[in-house]
This record gives sequence, structure tokens and C-alpha cells, in this order.
Amino acid sequence: MKWLRENLWRHGVAIFAVLFAAFPLYLVVVTSFASSGSLQLTSFIPNEISFVNYEKLFNDPTIPFMTWMWNSLIVAGSVAILSVIIGAASAFAFSRLKFKGKKLGLQTLLLIQMFPAILAIAAVYLIMEGIGNFAPEFGLGTQSGLILVYLGGAMGVNIWLLKGFVDSIPIEIDEAAKIDGASEMQTYWQIFIPLASPVLAVVTLLSFIGTFNEYILARLFLVDMDIRTVAVGLQQFVAGQYSENWGAFAAGSIIASVPIVLIFLSLQRYIVSGLAGGAVKG
Amino acid sequence: MKLFTGNKLAVTAKIIFVSISLALLGLLAQSAFASGEGLIAGFIALSMLALALVYFTKISIPMKFFLPGILFLIAFVVLPILYTLVMSGFQFKTGNYVDKPQALERIVADSYVPDDSGLTFDVIVGETAQGEPALLATDYMAGEYFLSTEDSLTPLDESQVTIDPDLGIAVETDGFTRLDPDTLAAQGEALAQLKFAGPGEYFLALEGFEVAIPLKPGLVYDEATDSFTQAQTGAKYVDNGRGNYANIEDPEDKLSPGWRSPIWLENYVSLVTDPKVREPFIGVFIWTMVFSILTVITQFSLGLLVALALDKPLRGRRFYRIIIILPYAVPSIMSILIWGGMFDTEFGAINALLGTKIAWFLDPNFARAAVIIVNLWLGFPYFYLISNGALQAIPAELSEAARIDGASNRQIFWQITLPLLLRILTPLLIASFAFNFNNFNLIFLLTGGGPRNDLDGEIAGATDILISYTYKIAFGSQVQDLGLASAISVVIFILVAAISLYGIRRSKVLEEFI
Repeated sequence: MKWLRENLWRHGVAIFAVLFAAFPLYLVVVTSFASSGSLQLTSFIPNEISFVNYEKLFNDPTIPFMTWMWNSLIVAGSVAILSVIIGAASAFAFSRLKFKGKKLGLQTLLLIQMFPAILAIAAVYLIMEGIGNFAPEFGLGTQSGLILVYLGGAMGVNIWLLKGFVDSIPIEIDEAAKIDGASEMQTYWQIFIPLASPVLAVVTLLSFIGTFNEYILARLFLVDMDIRTVAVGLQQFVAGQYSENWGAFAAGSIIASVPIVLIFLSLQRYIVSGLAGGAVKG
Repeated sequence: MKLFTGNKLAVTAKIIFVSISLALLGLLAQSAFASGEGLIAGFIALSMLALALVYFTKISIPMKFFLPGILFLIAFVVLPILYTLVMSGFQFKTGNYVDKPQALERIVADSYVPDDSGLTFDVIVGETAQGEPALLATDYMAGEYFLSTEDSLTPLDESQVTIDPDLGIAVETDGFTRLDPDTLAAQGEALAQLKFAGPGEYFLALEGFEVAIPLKPGLVYDEATDSFTQAQTGAKYVDNGRGNYANIEDPEDKLSPGWRSPIWLENYVSLVTDPKVREPFIGVFIWTMVFSILTVITQFSLGLLVALALDKPLRGRRFYRIIIILPYAVPSIMSILIWGGMFDTEFGAINALLGTKIAWFLDPNFARAAVIIVNLWLGFPYFYLISNGALQAIPAELSEAARIDGASNRQIFWQITLPLLLRILTPLLIASFAFNFNNFNLIFLLTGGGPRNDLDGEIAGATDILISYTYKIAFGSQVQDLGLASAISVVIFILVAAISLYGIRRSKVLEEFI
């Protein structure tokens, strides 16, 4: 009786949350294994298991799904690595070096991030159009151009997470290195980078997930079928009123999501502490 | 013993790397300059200077760490923001897109009107000895002949031309080669755009390949007074200072197209004073606030409830936890689109589950409810995770002490746990509010901002939040008004910045951080 009173509501709440959370995901799985390509989000119990949708993704020449996956990997991968290189250097400087305007710099960075970036798209578009006029390989409609634009946010996005980590490395280590004759650059490369490498890996993966998820800029930039990222490509399946293709969309979503979900679950601990930032410290 | 190694090697590597970057950037700057992108060329040149100064001298050590990030930040974030800021002071919309010289050119080009007399010329299309397109024209009525190119008109004597005996028109003259039918067909469209010199103030334009009609400009531009005069009515159009030539007598009678022109704060003022702008803006603003606040409240409540339920060793807790985190781990684009399918009226799972036939996205209130439900699904795992962390950060002694003093579980929650949690989580709640305030993807992919009243030509839909509304104003399918959209962006920026700064102040996160 006491067990009931203590734990029943807990299980009740948890089961409700689990059903709510799992419901759409379950439907996606069911839909992806249904043979008809139409909207299958009503059949709660699968009446068949068919791999038609998966085959379509891999064999239908009009759906370059693997190319999209590859594109997402290239774009998100490059952005993740380059932006962590940029972000780590900035975080180190903000945390460790003494210079004028440090507080102002951090505040400016914070403020810039609050501008609704979507609206600056028009200007970004014009800039990229201009670049395309003389360097077509970096202009509109190219992945390299898109990567450049994403890097605009590299300094701001990861800096809070990284700076928090750098702050947690005891400053005495730096001072000892300095006494041993290390320059700032040497401290950075030979002390900070090795110490921070686990965190840098986590931030790289987070940045990868973030870029993988980006939709608006990618849609604006990547017009040609063959250079789209998976997010843009899959969205087109269900965008048009007459071209709804939920089966293939569901199968594609599952293939695209599984790696992300696995990365996420394995990094849970770090992500949670990163999310909570300084707030949970107290 | 040397602890810090490789200095020489590192310096050499640096010099090589920076030099190669500079060389590549130099090439880019050159080709940018050559293709007329002066501003971009200038930016690249400045970047090169900065790179050389920072990495080859000891001018500033922090800059060595910041420079690459700063250059990208300026190029793709700061400059676009400044551009948006400038554009918010401009009349810059459909009909006022080009700059003034282009607008002038287009006004003149669009104003050509055929002569009232209905006069036509019989022509042969060909080219001059220099390869310029030319017309050999016959004025059948007057019995005159002339050769016309884009720049010049040469009258010809009967003796200078060969006349086709059947048609009675000139078909040949010296220095004129008739185009063969294939070339004619291939170049037809380009030729139709050309304006050949005609008699007097007239131009000749081709109508098909055998006839040309004389056109004259309906509007005459006078450079000295920067004004247009309508040839027929004599009406005068002057620069109205707002990007259009307007009739002196009737300011609403404007020539099209206009050009983008500075109107300073007018876009901002119209948000307050122009009812056509103000009413949708206020409506959307209210829904944006309601949406963001409801989102934070629902997400936080469910997340906290789950965190409380699982705040004790419980059979199956690990399983519960993994499933509950899933919505947060799945790429949100995919899950938003799936929810969109689930709310479908005919085939959607939601109606099937409820046994209803609700047209979720056609009714404003149902659409709003759907948006909130989907956002709850997307966000409650996040709040579960952080509430879970925060609950563990609250010392257990507090609730134990309260229990000894005779407080019930309920009292402990409402009077101790919740207030403490709120204090810890306020900055995150505010951050979540600010994020949802601009949650473009959710609205854009789920409802597209709809439903809305197309018939009234409304742009704002029932679920549009400021950012999606502004996106439609700027890049919509019918009328695009970048000036107004930029002004609203600036307003959004100020709102979000104010809210976030307030939150940061309160939580003192920034001070702790800096």
C-alpha cells in the first residue's frame, strides 16, 4: 500500500511522458516499413513489414539520398571542425589572456548573437552573390559558400561552453609554463589543447549536430538536387501538396537520425552540463 | 632541459601557412576587383593587411587567437546586420528595388508608345558590314527608304536600293546583308528587344520579322530639373524624395518602377501609425508573446513533473529516461515535419486517435494548440534534463529540516523546492523564452504561419510569430518589403536583447563568467 502511494504516481507520470515522447517516433518507424508511399500515420499496429521505402532511397536514381547524407556529412563535418578551431582559440584568449576591452568584447559577442539571423539572410545572399561573380566555387549554390557563411557564427556559438571549460583549468598550470619560458602560443598548443581535447571533441560533435539540423540557409543556398543536405532533401518529399512521400521521408529520417541520436545519447552527460551552463552550479 | 619544443619549426610552419593564405587571398582580391566587386575586394585586402600585421609582427597577442573568428564574424554576421540596419531606413520593396539610374532607364524604356497614326514600315532584317543589326525599311506610303541601326538612321535614294518588284519594298543595299531565316529564328527574341533609330523622335521596334512600328517615348526626361513630362498630357512628374517620380498635381500618381531611397525612420513610424502595418504587427506580437510564454510554462511544467517523478530510484528509470530524452535527440526538422503529417485532417494519427475530423491547420485556435503541443514535445525533455540536474543541486537537508518541522510533501514542494528551482533556472527559462520568440523553424515547417485569410491579402497568419511574419514580408511570394522587414528585425533584436540582458543581470551569469 505504501509502495502504491509512493510510486504509483511516479510510474504514471513516467509512462505518460514515455508514450507522449515515443508516439511520433513509433509512427515514423511503422510508416517507414509500410509499403505504400502515402501518409501512413494512422495505422498504429503494423500490418506488414516492407523494405520498399528503404530500397527506394538507395536505388531510385531520382532520389540521391546517399549523396545528401554525404553532403550533410561534409558540410556539418567541415563546419564542426573549423568552428571548433576558431572557437577554441577565442575561448582561450578570453579566458587566459589579459587585454583591454575583454568584457566589452564578450558583451558585444553576446549581443550580436541575439540579432535574428534569419533576417540578415537578404544581406548574406547579396554578399554571396557578389562572391559568386568572381569566385563561383564559393558563391551561391555551393557547399563551400554555405560553409563560409556558417563559420560566421563560429566564434559566438561555442565560446560559452568552451570558455566555461577553460576557466575550470587551474591557472597555476599556465603560470608554471610561463616560468618555464613558454609563450602564449606554446601554452595554447602544448598545454591547453591536450587538456581540452575531450571537451573539444564534445563541442565538435554538438556543432556537427547543430549544423546537420540547419535548414533555412541550406535551403536557400543548395538549389541543385545533387548538392542538397539531407535536411533540405527530405523536406522536399513532404513539402508539396501533391508530392507527399511519407514512406520514403520516414525511412530517410530514420537513417539520418540514428547516428545523431546515438551521438547524443552517448554524450548526454556532457551535453546536459553544457546546457545547464553556469546555472546549476549554485 | 627544454620543455617547450619545436619553436623554430612552429614559426616556419606559421610563416609558410600565413604566406600561402595571403597569396590565395591576394588572388581572390584581384579577381574580385577585376569583376567589379569593389567592396568585397576592399574587405579581402583589409583582411590581408590584418593577417600580415597580426601574424608577422607582435602588435597584439590576443589578436593572434581572435583574428580568424573575427574576420568570419564581420563578413557574415556583422556586415549583414549593419546592412539590415541601413535598409530599415530605406524605402526598399517591390517596385522600389533597383537604384535610381536603373529606375530611370526602365521608366524611359517602359514608356515607349506606338504612334497614333498606326504607321508601319516594311522591313528586311539584316546586319551592316560591321555586323551590327540593321533594318532596311520602306515607307510604302511615302515611297521613302532608309537603313536603320541602333545608333543611326541613313535615308536612302531609290537608286541606292534594290526593290523587289512584287512586294515593292527595298530588299538590298550596299553594306547590308540580309539575315538568313535560321539566324533570324535564333536571334528573334534578342532582336525584338532592340530599338532602332527612326525618323524624328521615333524609334523603330520590330513586330515579327517583316514589319516595324515607330515608337516614341511617352515620358520625356529633363536632366536639369530631374523630372519627367508626359508627352501627351503634359503632366509633370518630379522626384518625391521617397524613391518615386510622382505627378505634381496628384502625389499618388507615381511612375513605375521606383528606386530604393532613404526614408529614415518612416518604416519604424509606420509600425505605430499606419493601421495596415500596425494591426497585423500588434496581432502577431501578442501571439508571439503568448506562444513563447505558454511554451516555456508547458515545457517547464511537464519537464519538472517528470523530473520529480524520476527523482527517486525507480524500477525502469533508465528506460524511461532514454525514451524521454529521444525527442530532444532526434533532428528537430524531421520531427516537426512528422508532427505536421500527424495533424493531417484525413490521414493524421491525432484525429484517428481522438476519433475526430478536426481540420487542425485551418482553424486558428486548433492551429495554435497544435503549435503549442508540438513545441511541448520538442522541448519538455530539455527541461526534464535541466530540472533533474537542478533538483540534485538543492541540498537534501533543506527538505529534511522542513519535514522535521512538520511540513507536508506538498508544502515542501511549493514553498522550498519550487522557489529554489526557479531561482536556479531563471536564466535558462529566459533563454528558452528568447529562443522560442524566434523559433522560426517550428512555425515555418509546421504551419507556415497559417491559417490566414488569403482573400483579404493578409500576410500574417494565425500562428505567425514575429520572425516568420517578417520573413514573409521580406521574401514573400507577392509583395516584398525589405525595408519594413528590416525595421521589424531591428525591433525584434531590441526586444530579445532587452529580455536576455534582464535575465543575465538577474542571474549575474555574465559577471561570474567574466
